[in-house]
Formats: sequence, C-alpha cells, structure tokens
Amino acid sequence: VLLAVYVGYLGMGAAVLQALERPAEVQAAQLLLREYWKLMANHSCLQGPALERFIEGIIQAYKSGVTLQGNTTSLGRWDFSGSFFFSISAITTIGYGNLSPSTAGGRIFCIVFALFGIPLNLVLLNEIGQLMLLGVQHCARRLEEVFHWQNKASFLMKTCALVTGLLLFLLLPPLLFSEKEGWSYDEGFYYSFITLSTIGFGDYVIGMNPDQAYPSWYKNVISLWILFGMAWLALVIKFCINILE
Amino acid sequence: MLQSLAGSSCVRLVEQHRSAWCFALLVLGYLLYLVFGAVVFSSVELPYEDLLRQELGKLKQRFLEDHACLSEQQLEQFLVRVLEASNYGVSVLSNASGNWNWDFTSSLFFASTVLSTTGYGHTVPLSDGGKAFCIIYSVIGIPFTLLFLTAVVQRIIVYVTRRPVLYFHIRWGFSKQVVAIIHAMVLGFVTVSCFFLIPAAIFSVLEDDWNFLESFYFCFISLSTIGLGDYVPGEGYNQKFRELYKIGITCYLLMGLIAMLVVLETFCELHELKKFRKLFYVKKDKEEDQVHIMEHDQLSFSSISDQAASMKDDQKANEPFVNSQSPTSNDSSLNN
Repeated sequence: VLLAVYVGYLGMGAAVLQALERPAEVQAAQLLLREYWKLMANHSCLQGPALERFIEGIIQAYKSGVTLQGNTTSLGRWDFSGSFFFSISAITTIGYGNLSPSTAGGRIFCIVFALFGIPLNLVLLNEIGQLMLLGVQHCARRLEEVFHWQNKASFLMKTCALVTGLLLFLLLPPLLFSEKEGWSYDEGFYYSFITLSTIGFGDYVIGMNPDQAYPSWYKNVISLWILFGMAWLALVIKFCINILE
Repeated sequence: MLQSLAGSSCVRLVEQHRSAWCFALLVLGYLLYLVFGAVVFSSVELPYEDLLRQELGKLKQRFLEDHACLSEQQLEQFLVRVLEASNYGVSVLSNASGNWNWDFTSSLFFASTVLSTTGYGHTVPLSDGGKAFCIIYSVIGIPFTLLFLTAVVQRIIVYVTRRPVLYFHIRWGFSKQVVAIIHAMVLGFVTVSCFFLIPAAIFSVLEDDWNFLESFYFCFISLSTIGLGDYVPGEGYNQKFRELYKIGITCYLLMGLIAMLVVLETFCELHELKKFRKLFYVKKDKEEDQVHIMEHDQLSFSSISDQAASMKDDQKANEPFVNSQSPTSNDSSLNN
C-alpha cells in the first residue's frame, strides 16, 4: 500500500509541475530563438558589449534549462518524464538542478510538495531497508539450519549482502552508464555515488544527451536503482556506526 | 521515543562519553574536518580553474579578433563552450571575473554543502583528483556529520524541549500531552520564523535580484538539503564582502539543519504521532516501544535509530519475527 501511495504521490507531483512549467518554458525558448535570429541578421562586426549581453542572456536561459539546440531529451524538458524525474530528485533530496521551477507557482508547489514528500520518502526507505534486513537474516537462519554454523552464518550473510550491494549499486551501474551515456567508468562511478548519497550536484545527469536513443526500460530501472541503492546505503552507514561501538 | 533513541548506537556512543570535554572535542574535530576539506579542495581545484579561465579568455579574444561576418557554426561552437563552462560555474563575462569558485571560503561553503548532502552543483570538482577526493571525503564525512548532528541535537533537545515541558507540567498542572503539543507548535512557529522568514528577508535585501519568494524558496530548498542550485547566494556580480558572506551562509545552513532536526525530534516525541506511524510498520518484533524517528534530511538518520535498536535485540534474542500489522497489538506494546 505504501508503495502505491508513494508512486501515486510522485505521479501527481509530476503532473502538476508539468502543467505549471511547460508554458513558461515554451515561451522562454521562443524568446531566445527570436533574439538569436536577430543577432544573426545584423551580422557585421559584433561589438564586445553586445556579445556579452547576448551571452548573459544565453546563460540565464541555460540556467533555467533552455538551450539553443532545438532538441532536448525528455528528461531535460518539463514534460511528464522530465517532471517525474524532477519529483524524484526533490523528495529524495538529491536535487540535481538541471531542471528547476522558474514560475512562482511552480516554486511554491515545489516547497509544499517536498514538505510532505520527504517524510514519505524516509518512511519508504526505512521500510525497504527493513525488508532487506529481514531477507538477509532469513538467509542467515537458513544457513544456520543447513550447516550448523551458529554465529558465523550471520556474519557471513552480512558480508555477503554488503558485497552484493556494493556490486549491484555502485560497481555495476557505471558499466551501464558508460554504455548508455557515453561516460567513462570513473565518471559513472562518481555519478552513482553522488546520486546515492543524495548529494546530487547535477554536473552529470542521466538521460540528458539528445544524440542518444534511450530504451524505454532505462528510466524505470534507474528509478528503482536509486530507491534501493539509497536504502542499501542507509543500512551500510548504520552498520558502520554499529562497528564504531 | 526515548527508548528507541536510547537504543540507537549513536546516542549510546555519545552517552558513554558524556563529559563536556569529549563533546567539545567532537565539535572541534568536526570544524577541523570542514576546514581540512576546504583546504584540500582549494589547493586541488584552484589551479585547474585558473587554467580553464585562461583558455576561455583566449577563446574569446580570438573570437573578437576575427569579427567580421561570423558564421553560424563559429558562434554555435563558441556558445557550446560557454555553456559547458557555465555548467561548471566559470563565467566569461568581464564583470564576473572577480568571483573565484575555489578560494578558501567558497571551498568551505562547498565542503559544508557536500557533507550536509545538499550539493548545489553551482561549483563542482573539475579535476579527476577533485572528484575522487570528493567521494572519499563524503564516505567518511557523512557518517561523521550524522554522529555530530545526533550529539548536538541530543544536547539541545534537553534544554529546549524536555525541561520546559516538564516545568510547565509540574508548575501549571496541565497534562503532559497538552503541554507537549502547545510547546511543539510554539517551537515550530519560532523556528520557521527564525530560520525561514527572517533569513529570507535578509537574503532578499542582500541579493540584487532576489525577491522575498525566491529567498524563501532558497531557504527551504537548502535546509531540506535538496539543494537544486538554481539560487545560490554570494554569486552575484560585485558581491560585497564575499568571503564573510560565504562563511555566514555556511553557518546559517548548519544551524538551520540543527534547528530542523530539533523541531522534528520534538514533534516525534508527541505521543499522538506514535500511533499514526505504527500503521506503516511491516513487522513488529519486540515488546518495547520502537518508534520511527522521521528526521527529514539525513537519509540514514531515521533508519539508524530504528534499525540499530532492532539489530541489537535481534542479536540478543534471535527469535523469529512476529508479523503483526494490527494496531491493537501495537497499542498494547505502546502502553508498556
């Protein structure tokens, strides 16, 4: 039930944001294009200040997510998948920033949305973590019954879970990224870590390359990865602090 | 709430070394850690940024020299480079050349945003060494931050919540519930005005083109550690006293984070909320009260206190779990 509520919440946020942001974005894009053609019309000997003003305008527009190139990927616009991705990044507190609301209504909604979404997200992560822990302990108990190892089984299972998690969430995804995004392995690893720790700079974001064709399962897999990876990382940190004792 | 907090390993670690000495040491250690990070970032990134700036400057010169009738491709190429650079926070505009991204105070600001997992992205580590260091720094730093915040919040909450509530309960004779609720509301209100409304007003004055809503938006996005990065203070052109300003912002963010945690802890101690949260539990495996602490930002903070308690009991007891979703069994354990 909780999962359904969570997904529904994300979807609602995405829809509202899309409705709020898309018109403003389209308008900004049109304005920028108009300016660009005006500049191209008065070709002769551009002066420094005029160029600077133009660049300033370009950068301002870019910071709100609008570029000169006509095509952006679906994650880089405020259509449904883009807004969905933004909602995820907001309530998991990752906050990439490649897309950010520029209308006043969008911002106010973002605040309210996050106010309720973040506790919801925490509850969900807690649940996932507990389920994972449950699974690990279940396997440990099975091992104990089969091999009669007692304490060792639990320890073994925990290391096993740690290694599996490491592989699944931090070491293997960069390979996927290097194939789909064209990043190097290091960049993929950097991206994975920055995302799972919810720091989320936004210098690398998946799905932003307009020349790449992304398969349809890509975004869903990534969302799942983020969710489970964050829960796993929370467990690991808890283990570390346990060890501190 | 108290039992689960007591069960958390963080708090136990803290309570073992209760003396003010150790606490001061922890605070000092944390501050030193931040400073250390800032120094390393600054020394690693500043030369690289310098280089990038020079390259961009040369590019611009060349562009201005072959002025006449620029072709579309040339302009596009130039702009692509400009945008790439602005992604990293380096601007080619002449009146922005005074804003270095990796001087000491900016690096300090950056380190604090990394450790609080806010991560604006207005400046990012450019070199490979910087990126690798960033990862290692946060792997060690984020648990450290959690430990630090737990310790601080524990101290503060004694003075801010438990003593006043007890005082009013004894002095005025109201039931503890009522006093707790009123106190929580008052605390929430005071915190919101102190850490959201007043700073928003201050920012809207100090920053040139921020109105009140944008400043409030910034305060919220930062204190919830989302950190989108579309608004970052201190990045405006010709910002006066930039270094002091950055340090001030760093302090504000840290204190705001602590305040948020204190308020949330206070709310979580309200008896009523416990029953509501029980509905979300999948399993219930022990007699004593296990309450989920909904800290809003640190991703593992909630799971730490809760699961550490369950871990400890599991190791001791080693008995099978009882899947109980009915509120009645939860209530009976609550009343213990």
